[in-house]
Amino acid sequence: MSPKQFKQTLLAVLVITAFLLPLAVQSPTYLHILIMLYLYAYMTTSWNLVGGFAGVLPLGHSVFVGIGAYISTALWLQWGISPWLGMLAGGVVAAGVGYLIGKPTLKMRGAYFALSTMAFVEGVRVIVENLDYLGPLKLNGPRGLNIPPADGGFWAFQFSSKEPYYYIILIMLIGVALLTWYISRSKLGYCLQAGGEEPEAAQALGVNVARSKVIAMVMSSFLTAIAGSFLAQLTLFIYPKSVLTLDLSFELAFIALVGGRGYIAGPILGAFLLRPVSEFSRIYFGDSLPGMHLIIYGVILIVVMLYQPRGLAEPFGRLFDSVARKFATKDDDTAQTVGSSDKVKGGA
Amino acid sequence: MDLVFLLQDVINGVLMGSIYGLVALGLTLIFGVLKVINFAHGSFIMVGMFVGYWIVLFTGLHPYLALVLVVPVMFFFGYAVQHWLIRPIFIAERDVREPITVIIVTTGIWYVLDNLALLLFGPDYRALSPNPLKGEMLELGEIFISIPKFYGFLTTIATCAGLYWFMQKTRTGRAIRAVSLDRDAASMMGINQWKIFNIAFGIGTAVAGIAGVVLTPFYNVYPSVGVPFDVKSFVIVVLGGLGSIPGALLGGVIIGLIESLGPIYMTATWTEAIVYGLFLMVLFFKPSGLFGQKHDW
Repeated sequence: MSPKQFKQTLLAVLVITAFLLPLAVQSPTYLHILIMLYLYAYMTTSWNLVGGFAGVLPLGHSVFVGIGAYISTALWLQWGISPWLGMLAGGVVAAGVGYLIGKPTLKMRGAYFALSTMAFVEGVRVIVENLDYLGPLKLNGPRGLNIPPADGGFWAFQFSSKEPYYYIILIMLIGVALLTWYISRSKLGYCLQAGGEEPEAAQALGVNVARSKVIAMVMSSFLTAIAGSFLAQLTLFIYPKSVLTLDLSFELAFIALVGGRGYIAGPILGAFLLRPVSEFSRIYFGDSLPGMHLIIYGVILIVVMLYQPRGLAEPFGRLFDSVARKFATKDDDTAQTVGSSDKVKGGA
Repeated sequence: MDLVFLLQDVINGVLMGSIYGLVALGLTLIFGVLKVINFAHGSFIMVGMFVGYWIVLFTGLHPYLALVLVVPVMFFFGYAVQHWLIRPIFIAERDVREPITVIIVTTGIWYVLDNLALLLFGPDYRALSPNPLKGEMLELGEIFISIPKFYGFLTTIATCAGLYWFMQKTRTGRAIRAVSLDRDAASMMGINQWKIFNIAFGIGTAVAGIAGVVLTPFYNVYPSVGVPFDVKSFVIVVLGGLGSIPGALLGGVIIGLIESLGPIYMTATWTEAIVYGLFLMVLFFKPSGLFGQKHDW
């Protein structure tokens, strides 16, 4: 077995395990934790399209989560349009907003871009908190929107058990990971990579850096908004502070940076490392030591950035490669090139 | 509209705005030299507030006397943070133009500091007592001026004057300016850029401490008090031009005026939306801000 085959086998085993996991994990609590973990991995993978490949730091992706959540919910509550269609509608609106925001801001330097996306979230949150209606759309101000239980089942995107949510988000996650993989090998991916590392040089070689960044932003907004609709259907209650917060935006950036931004596996790795930390430390310290879980979170962030500024995907990848090489047949010397091939961009 | 009331609001806006300027001053200073947005700035203000608060609580001294202790403590705190946590990343990411990793580290520091305060002191809102400045008003005819805010205004002026003198007249100040203009050229001239980074970060943190002390007499102290100031400081420094000291003051006054005049014409919560709207407009149309230089870093 060559290292490449070994990797493919392992990946297949992981995916199959993920599909079979609900058979073993019966507890709704743990299933919910897994769902949230996949949801964050999904959102961060979407974030990674612009935050990782394009080399900027968006700190406002919760705007798109909010757009997705509010649009699918409003369509369902007001006109009975299925959240499945609302998801797409939210995605399209978010893509439009992503374009409008990305077009002027993506030309800015890193710090300005980060700050403007931050201001954008805060601005949108203030607006949503102050409006009961935006045109025909019901926002209900700071009280948010409550989705009453429906017996429409699949059409209503409401399920009595956690399993359907689990499979939906798992398929979404695999889909977005495959999409990222495809993009990283496409012309767009190479343009982004070149533009992220050496914008001037890339421009001189005829790469339209600004355009490829905007395209990445639009795709990223669309995909993130879909996660917002999913989140709304999962929790059945949305309000500005749950979906339009800087906290959520920051967490996506943290997961990506700890995992390794610019790597396809980075966001997923980051979510698997950081989400359990925040979930379990909240459970264990939540009452006795308030704030402890965020201290742990902050310390992890600082330590990882100090010792692995490019995220943990790099050392994990190296470890994985050496294992793969051990299992590989001796005469196969492609190990080295295969090992580094899933790296898209050096990060930061 | 009664002119006196309008004047009253304008004065309040300018006073509070100058304090916002002071709050943003440390941020703009650090950015000017290191080209790093310090997301922990609000937390530094919170630390300054808590240090000032405890000093007054235990000694009963006038709040402003706490400055004698707060300024050096905060300076060395900032110096240490820069030396131990930020410098290694600068070295590791030497060839990266935009130090995004540093932003994340400062965010980590923010999380740790705010939650450490929460863990140690609890979520309670604390008001300074004994507070010799509480509710004191200066009467000018029909206009009332809050004494703590007026002192804050004076402190802002004094801090700016002090900084200006330091930057123009001292060797270290000149070295800081040299490093902020061109760190490579400054290094070649024999300036130790790492030491200058540490000092600049220390000064920025000390200024955040001064802002904290100024705020304490009329503002509650609690662990997440820095967060609104954090976001506000970002708005102010971008408005005034990242890295510009007069820009920070002007940006602060603009925000102060919007906040004090806005509620006359609309619901108070909407003024916040105006602030962000203005912020985004400046970013789109004049990203270098009102006083900022064209960024070529």
